[in-house]
Amino acid sequence: MTEYSVIGKSIAMIDAAGKTTGSGKYADDFAVPGMLVGKILHSPYPHALIKRIDTSRARELEGVVAVVTGEDAPNQYGILPVGHDETALAVGKVRYVGDNVACVAAISEEIAEQALELIDVEYEPLPAYFDPEQSMKAERDLIHENRPNNIEKDYHHVFGDPEKGFAEADCVAEARYIANEVTHAAMEPHCTLAGFEIDPQTGKQGRLTVWSSTQVPYYLQHKLSLVLDLPMSQIRVIKPLVGGGFGGKSEIIPLEIIAAVAARAANAPVKITYTREEVFWAHRGRPRTIVDLKTGVKKDGRITAVACKVIQDGGAYCSYGVVTILYSGALLGALYDIPNIRYDGFRVLTNKPACGAMRGHGTVNVRFAFESQMDEIAAKIGLDPAEMRRVNLLKPPAITVNGLRVLSYGLPECIDQVITRSGWRERRGKLPKGRGLGVACSHYVSGAANSIIRSDMPHSTVNIKIDRDGGVVVYTGAAEIGQGSDTMTAQIVAEVLGCSLSRVKVIAADTDLTPIDLGSYSSRVTFMAGNAALRAAEAVKQDIVSAAAKRMNCALEEVEIRDDHVWKRGTSLSGADEAAASGRVDGQILRGSVLQSRKEELPKTHMSFEEAVVAAIDIHGGLTGTGSYAPPMEARGGKHKGAGVGPSPAYSYSAQVAEVSVDEETGIVTVHKIWAAHDCGRALNPVAVEGQVIGSVWMGLGQALQEEMVWKDGLMMNPGLLEYRSPSSVESPEIECIIVESIDPEGPFGAKEAGEGSLAATIPAISNAIYDAVGIRLREAPFSPERVLAALRTKRGAKKVEMTEGVDPTEPATFREHGGALWYRGKGPERHVEDPARLGGAR
Amino acid sequence: MSLPEFRLLRPQKLDEAVSWLASQGDQTRLIAGGTDLLPSMKQKLFAPAYVLDLRSIKELRGIREETDGGVGIGALTPLSEIEHSPLIRREFPVLFEAVRTVASPVLRNMGTLGGNICLDTRCLWYNQSLTWRKSCGFCLKKDGDLCHVAPASKTCWAAFSGDTPPALLCLGADVEIVGANGARRVPLSEFYVNDGIVRLHLAANEIVSRVYLPASSRGWRGSYQKLRVRGSIDYPLAGVAVTLKMRSGRVEDARMAITAVNPAPHLVKDVDAQMIGSEVDEVLAEKIGEQAARTAKPLTTSALTPEYRREMVRVFAKRALLAAAN
Repeated sequence: MTEYSVIGKSIAMIDAAGKTTGSGKYADDFAVPGMLVGKILHSPYPHALIKRIDTSRARELEGVVAVVTGEDAPNQYGILPVGHDETALAVGKVRYVGDNVACVAAISEEIAEQALELIDVEYEPLPAYFDPEQSMKAERDLIHENRPNNIEKDYHHVFGDPEKGFAEADCVAEARYIANEVTHAAMEPHCTLAGFEIDPQTGKQGRLTVWSSTQVPYYLQHKLSLVLDLPMSQIRVIKPLVGGGFGGKSEIIPLEIIAAVAARAANAPVKITYTREEVFWAHRGRPRTIVDLKTGVKKDGRITAVACKVIQDGGAYCSYGVVTILYSGALLGALYDIPNIRYDGFRVLTNKPACGAMRGHGTVNVRFAFESQMDEIAAKIGLDPAEMRRVNLLKPPAITVNGLRVLSYGLPECIDQVITRSGWRERRGKLPKGRGLGVACSHYVSGAANSIIRSDMPHSTVNIKIDRDGGVVVYTGAAEIGQGSDTMTAQIVAEVLGCSLSRVKVIAADTDLTPIDLGSYSSRVTFMAGNAALRAAEAVKQDIVSAAAKRMNCALEEVEIRDDHVWKRGTSLSGADEAAASGRVDGQILRGSVLQSRKEELPKTHMSFEEAVVAAIDIHGGLTGTGSYAPPMEARGGKHKGAGVGPSPAYSYSAQVAEVSVDEETGIVTVHKIWAAHDCGRALNPVAVEGQVIGSVWMGLGQALQEEMVWKDGLMMNPGLLEYRSPSSVESPEIECIIVESIDPEGPFGAKEAGEGSLAATIPAISNAIYDAVGIRLREAPFSPERVLAALRTKRGAKKVEMTEGVDPTEPATFREHGGALWYRGKGPERHVEDPARLGGAR
Repeated sequence: MSLPEFRLLRPQKLDEAVSWLASQGDQTRLIAGGTDLLPSMKQKLFAPAYVLDLRSIKELRGIREETDGGVGIGALTPLSEIEHSPLIRREFPVLFEAVRTVASPVLRNMGTLGGNICLDTRCLWYNQSLTWRKSCGFCLKKDGDLCHVAPASKTCWAAFSGDTPPALLCLGADVEIVGANGARRVPLSEFYVNDGIVRLHLAANEIVSRVYLPASSRGWRGSYQKLRVRGSIDYPLAGVAVTLKMRSGRVEDARMAITAVNPAPHLVKDVDAQMIGSEVDEVLAEKIGEQAARTAKPLTTSALTPEYRREMVRVFAKRALLAAAN
């Protein structure tokens, strides 16, 4: 018999049938009587004052029920308490092309769209800021008045003695790396349906119910309460099936607030579903980032110091920005042993859609720079890049120089696995011309040790109720977004209780029914909600065990429960009554009861799960349990300013080898295979872990080779899935996923995160492989064909052809802009005379 | 995004369609597979009073061998049917190669040959929502007065982005056009206008009904090379088609055409003169590639830079030639 019955087995997601047959319901599948369609009017200006809004003509259109503007809900909100800079709709000014100006609620989409054309808005253009390094010099016409120089937040951290570290180094590398902007591109566009009940006592608007595509139902409830001045108890948030989030639904997205504001004004339920273009404007993706990185090493490859300056182009609102810029610095630690670190991080506001959290939040672009530079240094000092990583491993248990606690650490095995399986030693350097191998590592938190909203409440709570039918109902606020949260919860509960998985029903993410959980972000669910589920199940199990012990006339410690069987340790299961073993109990009310049984039978040695449950309910009067989880104090990090972000109870680890070939005439990079080893502590559901790892690698592949938000004077040139090119199945390589189990001492059954940590390594693994293949060092992602070709041409001294808009991908100085000319002849929204679009003129 | 309101017409016969167009052509848009038109209508690029659905007209479908040895392909024939036709694959390999690169398998089931030939020209400043286009003051092609990719130009530089026309140009194909005055046949090479707005020599009351591949092009070797970022779905960012007639290792005749780098697909001039009688080698291919690149005038209509795309025309022309020859 294996150690476990339910966990550790590859099983289908418990919500798979609905998704695959189409019967499952996503937010847009919901309709309620009297429902209206909401459409949002977006700003055509990147930065402008709103002088006047006249909605009267729109209101007069037949079929329009309400038109709302910023004044209808002026309370500020934001996902971070330090970043409450958003309003439901623009109040006084707009800050990016696509900013939300007004919303029409009408009886049809067509009418709502027509009404948008009838809203008359008078704008006064302001100078706009598109480049973060330019924006940081701004002294007036600030994007937010309380943010001098358009800097949302800057942090300056020194750990150890970086100057001394660099002085001791035998080799120092220094370079600028640029990663362009990418977005989540979840398959499901955001959708929210919001409607108020009528209070039967007053006849007025009562409770609000919101169905929304969200990763964070609790935060949504909280922010709705703030904006609508409604107690949280009067708001119910329900998360239906979600078609992917990747961070794009991990905060409050404008439509979620706007739908509720519109519903309040219309006195009817309002549904808003974003178009794909609106999804790009709502964005909250990974900011384009400048990383100025310096690494010092000894001759043997040991890192002596790292200095890292990061500038993030955060867009027009704070969103998760403060957390992003902190993660970028904090997670320089916890992967390797780095004795001295200097970090300067700038989160900068620009007149572009807001960036936020995206898979691998804050770590990905810095990891691209770091792992690339490690590769450069390895080449310089003549060390195998894999060996370079090995000599810098941490020796856990450890507290890093920047205060991160590392317990379980499967990175050494991850490196061994990918090196062995890829044939690194035998094949590297011996591949045909134009073909190469690259290695890189990455890591990620298993949930943040400190919550966004400072409080003493647990990060996750899970309730369990078991009734006489033997059905186990688990209530969790954790948000299933396709990653397998519900399945993980059910598995843990079934494993602890010793019952079959089919008994377990998970009710999740409905704020009326389920206890508070912070939501699905920063890869926290398995570790935190999983631990809460484990504790809740253990609490219930105690009652079952005590009843069973009584019934079997044995000590508590002698009761074994597994696979729906309850037995006294030491007795054989073979003689057990077949009906009991199968779990059937006739007349659940009488036959199973303790009193009844005592009269009829001698003490039993075996019971069915249902018998034991009935016995427990008879004795305890009910069978419920609660468990909660809060990260231990030791894992909550140091005391410096900004120390709250980065600490996690456990970190996942990944090592990857990419094999690529480069077409030297076209610059097209083909990725043939990626070996990805991921330390997830314990794989509760291996096939789900593989899915997460493959998905992460694939998403990294997109950022590495082809995904890029293209900008021209604040206009996003490719706001659609045709021109924003996530990889298709055709160019997706084989990904060999290797699960490494380091069994974390604090994770549920030893589990850690699996959904994000593998993304960051993919990008540098590919860039390092490109270097191995053709000897060019690309310091600007993505490694699109024209960038690769430009670098190849420079390397072979070919005639200079400007094919990368003036930005050298091997030594990028700044971000590039799309070509062509924005300027128009009196047709469009006039830009301010100092707007870069006019200063730059036509190119 | 919703579709603008329109009346849908579903004629069963070609002459019904033609007679409708004779009176209402100016207010009518034709729909075949819908893969080009419907997204554009949602973006409010077109708001026709009528949409005439050609799909019920059976006579517009199918691949047929003509008595003269040529092959006729109905304009409504789905691209996937051409892709899977053994006759096309055997006799006109360049068309087979081109057609199988169009979009994705699902889109090829819907998209038709006529639709691919008459594809609207494309540009990042044009194929956007109404809201988006407002933010840049519109463009020459729709509602504006400026070509953003060529601000000094009086004509539109949106790029023709069909994959099959360069192949068909190389095959010397004709198109049959039906109008109120009956059918006429024009060489495909005279069908296009190098202006992103005018695009085609096709009146509002006319329908492209068939494509003819002449008997004289049967059995020519061919290759189509397409620049795309993704292995599927993408429109071409540049495309080069080549056909060769070879005898004893030497070129007897040759044609080359390019797409996605001009407002119209173009035959590359004088390719035959430079190649006839020669063996195809790297040197020749290089020379022809440079000539193709000179024909290309890519601008910032798509994500990859114009300079790169022009360079790829050179490389892909060379590769197409070598692939076709070997």
